Amino acid sequence: MPPWRHLVAQLAVEARDVRKHFGAVTALDGLTLSVNAGEIYGLLGPNGSGKTTFIRALAGLVRPDAGEISVFGQTPRAAVASGGVGYMTQVPALYGELSVDENLRFFAALEGMTDVNAKIEDALGRVGLLDRRRSVVSTLSGGMKTRASLAATLLHGPRLLLLDEPTVGVDPVQRRDFWEHFRALARSGVTLLVSSHVMDEASRCDRLGLIRSGRLLAEGSAQDLIRRAGTADLESAFLALSGVPA
Amino acid sequence: MNPRRTRAVARRIILQFRRDRRSLALLLVAPILVLTLVGQLWGSNTSTSKVHVLAIGDVDPELLSALKGTDLELSVSEHDAATVALKDGRADATIELVDNVFTVTVEGSDPTRTGTIIGQVERALVHLALEAPLSAFVKIDYLYGGPQYTLLDYVAPVLIAFFAFFFIFLLACVSFLRERTSGTLERLLASPLTRVELVVGYLGGFAVFALLQALVILAFTVFVLKVQYRGNLATIFLVEAVLVVVAVSLGLAISAFARNELQAVQFIPLVILPQAFLSGFLVPVDQLSDWLRPISAVLPLTYAAEALRSVMVKGYALSDPLILRDIGILVAFALLMSVAAIASIRREVA
Repeated sequence: MPPWRHLVAQLAVEARDVRKHFGAVTALDGLTLSVNAGEIYGLLGPNGSGKTTFIRALAGLVRPDAGEISVFGQTPRAAVASGGVGYMTQVPALYGELSVDENLRFFAALEGMTDVNAKIEDALGRVGLLDRRRSVVSTLSGGMKTRASLAATLLHGPRLLLLDEPTVGVDPVQRRDFWEHFRALARSGVTLLVSSHVMDEASRCDRLGLIRSGRLLAEGSAQDLIRRAGTADLESAFLALSGVPA
Repeated sequence: MNPRRTRAVARRIILQFRRDRRSLALLLVAPILVLTLVGQLWGSNTSTSKVHVLAIGDVDPELLSALKGTDLELSVSEHDAATVALKDGRADATIELVDNVFTVTVEGSDPTRTGTIIGQVERALVHLALEAPLSAFVKIDYLYGGPQYTLLDYVAPVLIAFFAFFFIFLLACVSFLRERTSGTLERLLASPLTRVELVVGYLGGFAVFALLQALVILAFTVFVLKVQYRGNLATIFLVEAVLVVVAVSLGLAISAFARNELQAVQFIPLVILPQAFLSGFLVPVDQLSDWLRPISAVLPLTYAAEALRSVMVKGYALSDPLILRDIGILVAFALLMSVAAIASIRREVA
């Protein structure tokens, strides 16, 4: 790869005709989409539409049966191994017996980080958990666990954040704070790919990809989609474009 | 392999384990409790206790007085009463002299007890014939062990290996199962951590507690239970360390076949019990039947037991070919199981 490649590559994620079967189940059926660097891209679709499979493929956990995926011009695993990707799973992936601080130190060590004190403080400050730094994770509420999980994902400063339904179990006030925070990350050049089926959340994304049965049905900003469907709001647009009678 | 990431995994396991008081107690206190019971059970020689024999019919008073100096406690009885006493357990054997032939009847349901009783009756009768105890004519010398050597001395080396294997296998299996089911494994695989680093980190973390356990068990058996012991401590530790690696990696690999803790526990009869019965724990391997011996040959505990028994009971050194061979086989098991553990962690993207 020539050294100027990253200047040309404005795409954080490029997926072309990606197919994946699990036995008889088709999870991805020729999915093609691209995510620009520095944007917040919302992956919108009902349960079982292939959102999580696609995110797992981007995290280097699933190998497509066919098609191509690149993350900043690299294979997903290479991008993950070089610390370019942060993946926040649907269920907070933390060790309940350990404190928030110990969890973050562990994940930082896996990313090869040294001198992590200030970075942990920064990450916890951003998710509003500084006062619970020494708390054992199993004693935290569901929302706090989600925030701690996000802090663990942000810690090593990834260029691409994969967030699988990040605000499940988070109250409305914290959800608003989360999104302000996502916005700030995007401004600093981080690309975010967020999966959701919450419309309020989807409307905050720069661009949306509407997925159903492992295929991209429509793509564009929330306004684009509403206009194209000729509906009053995003939820109706989502149903209309999915081919579900409203 | 990145040593810093591997160390991070090991350190995390140590930290988690220190918080888990109950598992720590299981690891360190449970073996002591079991060993205390086993020590009471097998730690004394019971063969010197007197055997109660009923003589049936007209017994020569001279015979009775002649048997006074032996291990037999003889009293006279009627035939039917003697049979009832034997059934009730009030007598160990009955003896009847017909045409210069002694007929000895034993209860016979417990083979070990039967062997002891017959041996003592035979010795008493030889004593009677020779008019002096057998020990006056036959001197017994020991290559290993000795007159004070008990069943506990014989089984202790295998018990040490068994505890190391059993508890560590179970803990490693359940810990890794939690990693698989709680979503943290997914998170780890979506980081720069490689599968080899993960497995080696696990081995390192568990080895700390496994060897601590080995130290506690060994100290307890040698200093409290006073098990006879000849060989080198370092050699025993080396064998234990390799065995622990086998146990941890087997636990990680087996956890792939369980969906929850209950299912993991169900592997105990399959993985642990054959090793308890066929590794030479109570029945020496060369006394196993032809079709059991090949099974025994593929069980790691068989080699650990042989090596530890040879070192502790017979004082073999590390340089002895038998010990080197056993350790070599255990290392091969450890490598094989580690590869199986790595293979059991599925990440589709290499």
